[in-house]
Amino acid sequence: MEQELQSLKQLALLELSQADTMDALNELRVKYLGKKGSLTSALKGMGALSAEERPKIGQIVNDIRSELENIIQTKSEGFKQADLEKKLASEKIDVTLPGRKVNVGHQHPLTVTLLRIKEIFMRMGFAIAEGPEVEQDYYNFEALNLPKDHPARDMQDSFYITEEFLMRTHTSPVQVRTMQAAVPNQPIRIIAPGKVYRRDYDATHSPMFHQVEGLVIDKNISFADLKGTLELFIHEIFGKDVGVRFRPSFFPFTEPSAEVDISCVMCSGGGCRVCSGTGWLEILGAGMVHPRVLEMSKFDPEKVSGFAFGMGVERIAMLLYGIDDLRLFYENDLRFLKQF
Amino acid sequence: MQAPIKWLKEYVEFSQTPEVLAEMLTMAGIPVEGISYLGKDIEKIVTGRIIEVEKHPNATKLSICKLDVGTEVLVIVTGANNIAVGNIVPVALVGAKLPSGLEIKASELRGVMSYGMLCSTAELNIDSKLLSAKEKEGIYILSEDTAVGIDIKEALGMDDVVLEFELTANRADCFSVIGLAREVAVLTGGSLKKPMIHLHETAGEKSASLVKVAIEEPSLCSRFAARMLQNVKVGPSPKWLKHRLQAVGMRSINNIVDVTNYVMLEMGQPMHAYDYNLVSKHSLTVRKAQSGEKITTLDGIKRELTSDMLVIADQVQAVGIAGVMGGLATEVTNNTQNVILEAASFNGVSIRRTSKALGLRSEASGRFERGVDTVNSIRALDRAAKLLEDMGACKVCPGIVDSYPTMVLPRQVSFIPQKVNAYLGTDISKGEMLNILRSLEFAIDTHSEGDKITVNVPTWRNDVQYQPDICEEIARIYGYNKIPITTPDGNILRGGQEYAQSIVDVIKTILTGAGLDEIISLSFTHPQVLEKLNIADDHVLHRAIRVLNPITDDFPILRTTLLGGVLETIVRNLSRKNDDIKIYELGAVYLPEELPLHSLPKEPLMLCGALVGKRSELSWSQGKENVDFYDAKGIVEVLLAGLGITDYHVTTGEHMSLHPGKTAVFARNGKILATVGELHPKVADEFDIHRKVYIFEVDIEAIVDCVNLLAKYEPLPKFPAIQRDVAVVLPLTISADQVREAIIASGGPLLCDVRLFDVYVGEQVTDGSKSLAFSLIYRDKMRTLTDEEIDVYYKKTIDHIESSLTAKIRS
Repeated sequence: MEQELQSLKQLALLELSQADTMDALNELRVKYLGKKGSLTSALKGMGALSAEERPKIGQIVNDIRSELENIIQTKSEGFKQADLEKKLASEKIDVTLPGRKVNVGHQHPLTVTLLRIKEIFMRMGFAIAEGPEVEQDYYNFEALNLPKDHPARDMQDSFYITEEFLMRTHTSPVQVRTMQAAVPNQPIRIIAPGKVYRRDYDATHSPMFHQVEGLVIDKNISFADLKGTLELFIHEIFGKDVGVRFRPSFFPFTEPSAEVDISCVMCSGGGCRVCSGTGWLEILGAGMVHPRVLEMSKFDPEKVSGFAFGMGVERIAMLLYGIDDLRLFYENDLRFLKQF
Repeated sequence: MQAPIKWLKEYVEFSQTPEVLAEMLTMAGIPVEGISYLGKDIEKIVTGRIIEVEKHPNATKLSICKLDVGTEVLVIVTGANNIAVGNIVPVALVGAKLPSGLEIKASELRGVMSYGMLCSTAELNIDSKLLSAKEKEGIYILSEDTAVGIDIKEALGMDDVVLEFELTANRADCFSVIGLAREVAVLTGGSLKKPMIHLHETAGEKSASLVKVAIEEPSLCSRFAARMLQNVKVGPSPKWLKHRLQAVGMRSINNIVDVTNYVMLEMGQPMHAYDYNLVSKHSLTVRKAQSGEKITTLDGIKRELTSDMLVIADQVQAVGIAGVMGGLATEVTNNTQNVILEAASFNGVSIRRTSKALGLRSEASGRFERGVDTVNSIRALDRAAKLLEDMGACKVCPGIVDSYPTMVLPRQVSFIPQKVNAYLGTDISKGEMLNILRSLEFAIDTHSEGDKITVNVPTWRNDVQYQPDICEEIARIYGYNKIPITTPDGNILRGGQEYAQSIVDVIKTILTGAGLDEIISLSFTHPQVLEKLNIADDHVLHRAIRVLNPITDDFPILRTTLLGGVLETIVRNLSRKNDDIKIYELGAVYLPEELPLHSLPKEPLMLCGALVGKRSELSWSQGKENVDFYDAKGIVEVLLAGLGITDYHVTTGEHMSLHPGKTAVFARNGKILATVGELHPKVADEFDIHRKVYIFEVDIEAIVDCVNLLAKYEPLPKFPAIQRDVAVVLPLTISADQVREAIIASGGPLLCDVRLFDVYVGEQVTDGSKSLAFSLIYRDKMRTLTDEEIDVYYKKTIDHIESSLTAKIRS
């Protein structure tokens, strides 16, 4: 009996070693270990054995069974792994094909720039004010201390519609409208973005462009506050490393007035074509609100003071993105628009 | 305004380089826009005297010159024919570099060695507008008193550096070299030396007995002063004067005119010289022109004047347009023997209007517009007389004639140092403030009381009127960049955007997500564009605001619709082979209440979008279908859904520019929110677009009114739904919406959703018919439904559709 079992084992081992498919393996499992399998039959034949032999033979049968089971298990796992590998290999794709396009649009670079500007000022507690683009002479000029025939009106050659109405030449009239709509001497902190119009049309001038005006009025507002606010803004939008300088200038509606320059973002101040070799770029006009402007809008210059500033959105966008031609903004070439 | 460094140094000593000085001035509000080194490209060119000229033996057109260039005698072969022995000419030595880049070498010309080149004005790169006709031709013959063997730059006054200023409108005083020198002195710590003027006045008769002056319009002329010069010898100016003028780009004319220009540049006072003998009755009156009065100005142009223009007139005619340009009739010429020198002060606004109306700008008018220092007029007269006297160009008559109705006194302005510091955010001592103001020649009033300080503002600083002006003077000299950096304290204010402004941002975000690119086009357009858009003449959109002074004829009106700009953008992109276009513009249109404009127009915000070409970007993985009407409609649906607007109806609509059979309007409570459609083929033709264009237009203001960005949450269903699909075949004339309505009307209380999932027209259905397939979703929130109860509702719906829409259920 023992010998029979040993030769059964040898035969099983031989056959198992030759099994090279999952199916063959399964057949062998049934043949030897199944309900009607050889080993199972051998176990059934144990009834004829003596009480002494029975546990011994039983032990042998069990050993053989577990040995065969182990082999089958191992081989079976090997087959599964091989199958999986084969399947995976057959499923390989060309990952270098471009990804499926998601059609996402693009906002105009001026919109993107304006959103950044608005976001910075809103964090500083500024509200966004708006005003009409077709404006009255009074708001565009007179109430800003620019009476008729003032030479400074030449700085802003206007598109007139009638004697009284014109396309606003700057966003500054929104200052006046905001003050006149407010309770006199109450604090104001606004920016006013929008389109403005001047009679200039060449490589560096567009008859329509965008400005952001700012106005802060409160008790004890100083020129130092103007410097601090604008420097904060510039560092937020152009980065902490950019240099800022304030130069005296002249606007009829502010006194003292300043031009604000930043160190050239193209050459970092070394001097290049963009900054005409000066290392500086003019970026903002600003100043303390002229007492006449406050008075005309019923604010008392003895009680409150304020500062105002204005900047060109195109200019800032050009510097942020390195755009070298103003006309690109209004040509709306998709190859340009899709870059933002 | 331009100022040569050497000229500035006549009034103030400084050692700064031009670059450093420019920076200092710029940072004090006197912006230097450029620094030009005169003759910077000229090297090794000297003055030489021609000592011999002979014909070249082998060339008829060439001459051989011997020149004394100081250190040696050179032989130079030249083709020039305007030279003679004794002439002093510019000689480019061997090794010289010309501005053109040409390098001079010793070379053999037809058998004769030549050691240099004689130069013309063009070769020296001298601005031709600074030269007389004679000087422009041939070799530049220098004046006889030119030293031989010196650098040509020295000989021509080109060994100088000129600062070019871009002055602000308020600093009239800096339109003079002395005004600029004052700023230089303050900034460099130097002291200003104004020219000393001691006249000899050797002529026998007094000015007052020879000339009469009068002002008829004292509101337009605050001073009119004159001085007589006799025994005048009109001739060329001395070299120094010529060079001064040339350095700032002004042509030398003759000694008299040059001196008036020189004094204007030096002191900021425009001046004029009249030929005394040609002034009728030797009297000059400042009066208004008669309407239609004519005058020929110095530039030779005959001009017709209007009655609001100011002229200087003798007893017969106008002899000058006040403050703008003198008249030809009394011009100083080589025959002039006696001269009236004039220095006046005219009203800036009046000069500005006249100069604008005549289209005539001059150095004088520019200065009067900004305002000249009335007090300075006499000094200027004296200065000019003195210069001419020193040149021996005339004898100066004693005294002046001066019409000066109201004496101008220095303005007094008060300030409180503490308030100046509060305004600036600084801590500048009172002493420092006073030092700054004194250096600028503000006189401190000794009667100043307590904290308050009163200053007499110099008469040339008409821009200083209020305490903030004083603050600026102190701040700009103290240095803007030394002012501390603080941020405003005080009340916390509610910042942020208004609701409508935020909605615009949301709309743009939704459209970006929907794959559209934003464009921004000009607000101007042309009436033809409205025609091309098929807008009827009597339509409100045809009533556009016209600009009085458009910049080009291309866009004389303001847009009343965004569609024109959108289509022009499409045309431009198609022409550049950008074939697949999905764009939108969001901006104002300008709708007047009435024309001509009497009130501000409405500026409603509109949104206009357009789709052309492929639905998806060309790619290996995506379909190549073109966009159609439903892409445009889908965008509007997504937009409205994104804004929480659901209760709208879509119906067939009308739009002048759109295909009548392919236009839909989205309306809510009778108000149109949006229009979608295919561009009318006629309009497409007009714009020369040969592609299908799908358009949507949205009225932003109508939209903002019904936005709901905080929709209430709908709980998720707890019980399953039952779905029934039905395909109906029905005439093409019946719209999907009609079927949908019919399903909803008959669907019963449990019907919660109806979805159209297929549309079919083709072989499977008869001609003139289509098949629409809908899913009907039934659900009860409280329980699970049974098929049996839904069958009842479903049957009812089927019956209703069949009977009411002449439809057949497709199986």
